[in-house]
This record gives sequence, structure tokens and C-alpha cells, in this order.
Amino acid sequence: MNTRRTLSTADLGALVGDLIAAGTTVVAPIRFVDQGRASIEYGPVQSPDEMDLDGPQPSRSLKEAVFPPTEVLFRWRQAKSAVEIEEVPVSFKETVVVGARPCDAAALEILDRVMGWDFRDELWFGRRQATTVLALACTRCDESCFCTAVGLSPASTRGADWFLTPVEGGFEVEVLTLKGQALLERHKARCPEAEGSTTKRVADLEQEVRAHLDVRPDRIRAWLETHFDDALWKRLALRCHGCGACAFVCPTCHCFDMVDEPDGIDGGARRRNWDTCQSALFTLHGSGYNPRKDQAARFRQRILHKFAIYPKRFGEVLCTGCGRCVRVCAAGMDLVAILAEIGRTAAERGGSA
Amino acid sequence: MFVLRVNSMQDLKELSKKLLEQKQVSAILGYEHGRRGPRPVFVTEVADCERLVFDHRCVHNLAAYLSPRRTLVAQLGRLAVVVKACDARAVAGLIRESQLKREDVVLIGVRCGGVVRDPNGAEQLSADNVAPRCLECDKREPALADHLVGEPKPPPPGSASRDARLSEIEALSPGERLTLWTSLLSRCTRCHACRQVCPMCFCERCIADKTQPTWIETSPHARGNLAWHLTRALHLAGRCVNCGECERACPAHIPLGLLNRKVARVVAERYGYRVTDDPSTPTPIGAYRLDDEQEFIQ
Amino acid sequence: MNLYQPHLVRIEEMVDETLDTRTFKLSFEHAAVGEKFDFKAGQFGEYSVFGAGECTFCIASPPTRKGYIEASFKVVGKVTRAMRRLNVGDTMGFRGPYGNHFPLDQMRGKNLLFIAGGIGLAPVRCVIWNALDLRDQFQDVTIIYGARSVADLVYQRELEDWARRSDVRLYQCVDPGGETPDWKGAVCFVPSLVEKVAPSPHDAYAIVCGPPIMITFTLPLLEKLGFASDRVYTTLENRMKCGLGKCGRCNIGSVYVCKDGPVFTAAQLKTLPPEY
Repeated sequence: MNTRRTLSTADLGALVGDLIAAGTTVVAPIRFVDQGRASIEYGPVQSPDEMDLDGPQPSRSLKEAVFPPTEVLFRWRQAKSAVEIEEVPVSFKETVVVGARPCDAAALEILDRVMGWDFRDELWFGRRQATTVLALACTRCDESCFCTAVGLSPASTRGADWFLTPVEGGFEVEVLTLKGQALLERHKARCPEAEGSTTKRVADLEQEVRAHLDVRPDRIRAWLETHFDDALWKRLALRCHGCGACAFVCPTCHCFDMVDEPDGIDGGARRRNWDTCQSALFTLHGSGYNPRKDQAARFRQRILHKFAIYPKRFGEVLCTGCGRCVRVCAAGMDLVAILAEIGRTAAERGGSA
Repeated sequence: MFVLRVNSMQDLKELSKKLLEQKQVSAILGYEHGRRGPRPVFVTEVADCERLVFDHRCVHNLAAYLSPRRTLVAQLGRLAVVVKACDARAVAGLIRESQLKREDVVLIGVRCGGVVRDPNGAEQLSADNVAPRCLECDKREPALADHLVGEPKPPPPGSASRDARLSEIEALSPGERLTLWTSLLSRCTRCHACRQVCPMCFCERCIADKTQPTWIETSPHARGNLAWHLTRALHLAGRCVNCGECERACPAHIPLGLLNRKVARVVAERYGYRVTDDPSTPTPIGAYRLDDEQEFIQ
Repeated sequence: MNLYQPHLVRIEEMVDETLDTRTFKLSFEHAAVGEKFDFKAGQFGEYSVFGAGECTFCIASPPTRKGYIEASFKVVGKVTRAMRRLNVGDTMGFRGPYGNHFPLDQMRGKNLLFIAGGIGLAPVRCVIWNALDLRDQFQDVTIIYGARSVADLVYQRELEDWARRSDVRLYQCVDPGGETPDWKGAVCFVPSLVEKVAPSPHDAYAIVCGPPIMITFTLPLLEKLGFASDRVYTTLENRMKCGLGKCGRCNIGSVYVCKDGPVFTAAQLKTLPPEY
């Protein structure tokens, strides 16, 4: 189905107001100002005025909405030798995300693959089920955006239940999924059917983003699969601090740790927490042996996982070209430049290029 | 318009070439122009010395790479490192705490008139974008240096006190402060970027990584985050050089520098100690004085 | 109930195999879970000590024995140290079975060669008993096992049992210096014993597990003896957390030890990058 609707700016605000009044959690980009510096982050809004849909990309990804940085897997109570487990709910409060960037919406769908691989992660899918994503076409980009190089675009509808395209006075809305249709049914009055031909988009950024990086993911993958020992890894890793800020802001990084947190002697919680392959501890064996003992091996793992391993297993690049890793890196590691270099090297060699 | 003063860095390039040619060092650790702005670079070939730059966007503290836990860097051999006066304080700290021998590194001091907070902006340096660490800069060039390059620079712009916010927080009650910090730290996801970029966080095994027992909960909830950040600030007492890299690196934009500056204030008031780029000054933690205040021992 | 929630298991019995290796015999708290529980030789589980965390061990008992599972462990870190402090009657957690298995079905009618070193006998022991419980499905059963010293040999009662059986050929060794005055077995390293025994590759499958150094020498030796590399099996360990393919930790290149392994052929090992 592909229903086209229009939504004025005022009506979007009213729709959000209706959702909040009905007890639905609404997540949208919000402007935070601290010590004179402004940043945009996805966060829950208490009123439509808090939304900032015209600002730059939120500096953290949307994955937090369905994959929190820390999450209780279960709790236990213990008395002498006996243990009792307290389950955690796997169904969640309804959430609507308003103004998701296309790179963030697509990431959720890409992660569904690993989260559903043989074993179904009920916590992930429970939250996914409860979350309706209203994505918004980008009207701005910067030199770190490269979504077009990984099969997406500033107007990609992947992962969206509704896709909003800014037009004069508001938005054109494409309703793309059953979930989106259900939301429309509940708020039909706000979104009249689109009349006539579609109004021209406010901005068309695709060419601009394409100019940032022109590589083919299949060629990148072919090079990565045959250059495990390349000198590139050591050279890049010299600069890398191994901090994992890149992984934590990334919409598709999903590696996690599991820890037990006792609460006194008679119980506690087992949690899963975001983790990163960039940490020296990530693959450290109890014996003290570490198969990835330097930053070169760890940095290589990150690139391989995203551009070779995940594509091989699931047919998807584990990257949506959002550019956050480039922007956040304190050491100036630049994935756009790295992929461009690999792309050039692969092309020069002919063969696997 | 941003103007790169190319001729002022010719001395840096010539010096670097000479150091490599004479095999005084195996690599130069300096800055190069990345796609978006300057970034650290390790130059091992004479021809690549042409890539070395220094301008007002070179905010990075390169002393972080001198920690002995950086095995890949250590493999390169003897380094020459480009240091601003503030960065040299970190080098002095590493020498002071026996992580680095003075003779094992060549220090290329660079004359600096302030740097911007964000190396990837193309703006001219101004009071609005100057890095917090520059607000109390007391010297344009490091005393701890083997060579000095660059032209003399005026003091950095900006007169706002870096500690205005700190004084605001100090005026709050302890309960209000706890609420404030719990809220600020709620954005922390425990990526540990603050620790990884810090030149003085060089512990072989960080206390946060220990599991027998688990001293600091690794989960990014209020309890874990407070434990981590307060512990780190305390472990840096008298050691933090206030370079602000932790704050710059934090992907959650948490004003971490405030914690460190508060501890630095306490250390200054109680022990009369401020970080210096003189490695021979003993650390307040490492030195015992008979006249140390100890009224807390009853 | 979510996939990370363990079943409760009770420690029924505890055996000290050596000074530092202990075996737990565990039964499921909920009878219904225990009755339904099934696995194949080579699969592993995530064993919980509530409060300390989880640890990965292969299931050391064979799938032919119902009603319980066994795990053998040494103290290496936080969780195994906590396990060591547990007593009979205490409750642990178990998630599994995970991973792939030794393809015993494929090996029916063939000769089986088991080679193990030290605590590496644990996963192999599972397959040995699985085979011995279905003895008439296989031809010759040969076991070559060694440890650093006599005191380090694990499952000693079972070794005596296998030594006595006429349908099993057992060869044992200890490292030079590890023998006792009444030691009847060989005194050499496991690969040397394999060379001495010179097992025939004809119609045979080999299952090998032990410390990395032993594997490094034994696999080329088997190749030299004529074993095809897709007839030689081993089981790998890697740092794990979820055990079911989501946490991203245990991969070696594009191979996930918890999903594509832990059982691999020597042929597969050759294709893996040197990251384990």
C-alpha cells in the first residue's frame, strides 16, 4: 500500500499533541543547549514545541529507542541455595518517533536481521513492535554524510512506517506499512488525502551526498575479504584511541556485554549493556590470551564486520552512511576517507575491483 | 576566510626532515590536514614531512599517544612529538610518573596563540569558539621542549572565566549538586572515550575493568555512571592537565572538565599545587610534606 | 520469558577430577524442562552463577544419558571462581544447547579416533560416551589421551573403565617429569604418542581437543598420517557472552564460533583468519 497524504506543520504539531495526550511516548529530535553549545538529540517530548525538525542530524542514533544502553534481562532472588527468577516484560508502551532521519530508520531494519537470526530477541522485537517510525526526508547534509554509498539516500523510505517529505506549509506523507496505516486510521482528520501532483520537494540532496563518497560496497567487501593482513590496518590504528565513541553513536553497532549486578546478597539483575569491539577487553579470554591484541586488529574488526562479515551473512551492509562516527571521532579517523582509499586501491588492482 | 600561514610552519617541516634523516627519531608525531580538519599523524618518511601542519585548529593533545599501553606506537621507536605549552604539561606528567623517560622523546615545542574547540570548523579563532583550556593560558610556548617552531603569537582571545559555571555549581547545595550531576551523567553510555583520550589515564588495568571484585558497575545507569566519573576525577587529582580532551571526545557532550577542574581547585587550595610542565616538580599525591593539612584525621 | 533467561539447574554431584578441575552434575529444577531437554554431542551451554555471571562450557555428558548434564571446569576468572565456591544442592542457571555438533550420524560404521590433552578431554568425553552408548554403530574406537602429569589426568575412573573394555583401545601418556613410579602409560607429549600409535586413516574420523599447542602439532601430524582434513574435527573456544549470535563477540572473521561452531573440521580451520 502507498497512501499519499498531506500534513500541515500545524497539524503535525496537533497530531503530536494528540499522541502525548493519549499517553503515547513521542520521541523526536530535541535541541539541547549546554554551556552555549547546542546539540540535537532524539528524546521524549512533552509538547510539540520541543521538537526541532529543521536542525542538524541528532548526534546520537535512534537505536536507543529500541535498544537501550542498558537493559535488564531478568532479575533473580536468592535465599540460601534456592533461586527464583523474575521475568521482565517483553511488550512495551507504544512509542511514535517523529522526524527520524532516513539513515536511522533504515538501521533498525538492518539490525532486525541479526536480532532475528535463528533465535528471536524478544526484547528487541517487543520494542520494535511498539514503535512507529515517522521518518523525515533530509533537508540538509554535511561532508560526513555518505548514505548514497551504502544503498540509501536522503529520501530513503527504508524502515519508515510513514515517510514525510517537507513541502511548502508542511509535509507530504507516504504511509508505507500496516503499522503506519493503523496510525493513520486513528488520526485521519489531521492528514487529508494529497490532491493532484506532488509538490516539489524542498531540497534534493542526493547529488550532494553522492559527491562525498563514490564506492561500491561489493568491491569494498571483496577487498576486505582478501586483505586481512594489509599494512593499512596498522597505519590507521596508530591514530585510533580505541575509545568506541564511534560504535556508541552508530545506528547499526549492536555489540553488547552481559553482566550480573547483585543487589546485596539476596538478589540482583542481569543486564545487557552496549559494548564495543574497539575495547581491549572485548575478546580477552579468561586465561589472559587476546586474539585481537592491538588496535590494528580491533579497528580491522570494525570495518570488516560492517562491510564484509554482516553483508556475507545477511546480505546487508552494517552501515547507513550517517557519518556520526566521522563527526564524533576525537582523533580524526574518517570512514569516508578510509572507504575512498580502499575503493581506490581496489580499483587500481583491477581483478577484485 | 581562513588563512593558513604556510611559511610559519616551514621550520617545523625542515626540523622534522632533519630529525628523520639523522635518525634521531623513527617517526614524527604531529598534525596533518585530514579531509575535515587537522588530525594527528605519524610521519615516518622524509617526503611525508611536507604534510605536517600547525594552526589554530590543532586542539588535539598528542601526549595521549605517549602512554606505554599504546603498543603500536611504541613499536615505531623513538618519537618526536609536536607539543603546545598545554600538551607539554601532560608530557611532564608522564615523565614525572615514570611512564616516559625524558631522553626517549624529542619534544618539538610549537608557539601557539590559542586553538578552537572543534578542529573541524573552518572558522577564525575568536572568543566564541576558543577551546576552554585556552582561557587561562599563561604561556605561548612550552618550557619543556627540545626545539621551538612557529612564529610568536598573541594571547588567545576570550576573557570569560572558564570557571564561571564551576562557581555556579559550587553555590548549590550538595543535594542539588547530586541531582545536577546525576542528570548530566545520565547521558553517559560508558564508551570510555574520556579515558582513552586522556594522557594521564594510562593504567595497565583500569579500575573500571576489574571484575574480581567489580569495583565500579559497568552499566550506564545513574549509580554506575556516578561511580565511574567520580572515581576517574579522583584518580586524576593533581594529575589532570586540564587539556579538555575528555570533554571534546565525549559523544554525549557531558561537561566532564567541570569535575576535573573542581578537583584541581581543591588540590590547589589545599596543597598549593598546580600542574606544571616541569617534570621535576613532585606530584601532590606522590610527595609527603610535614606541613600537609590533615585536619580530617581526628 | 526471553531468550537470555536461563533454566534453573541444581548441583546434584560434584567430583574433583584433579586439584584444579571439578565436574558438576546438574539436574533441571523443573521436571518438564529436564524431560524435554535434548542436545547433540559437541554443543555447549552458558552456565550461570547468579551474581557472578555466565560462563561457556561444552556439555561434558553424552546426550544418551538423560536427566542430567555435566560440566567440567577450572578456575580461570570471576565466574569459575564463584562456581568453585558452590556446593551440592546450590542452584545455577543453564542456557542452551547452543552451537553445532560432531556429526556422529555421518560417522556411523566408521572407525573413531579420539585425541585429547588435559581438560580438552571434556568435550571429547561427551562424544566418547555417546559412541560407547551406541557401540555397535561404530567400528574401532581408539582413544589417545595425555596430560601434564598423572595428577592432571581428568575422568580417571572413566579412563580405568575404558582401559578395561575390550572394545576400546586406550593409549595414555604424561609429559616427561609427570610420571609416578607406578605409571604404566607412555611418557611423552600427546602428538608423540599419536605418532607412535600411528592410527590408520582408513575409514576413520578423528576428534581432537586440547591446548592450542597440542592442536598445532597434532593436526599436521594427522595430515601426514593420511587423514583427510574434512575427517578431522576439533572444537574451538572463544570469548563469548550471549552464545547465540547477537552480541558480536566470538567471531573469527566471518565465522561465529557460537553459531558456525564450536565444532570445526581441520579443513575449515585452514580458512579461518589468525584471530583465535
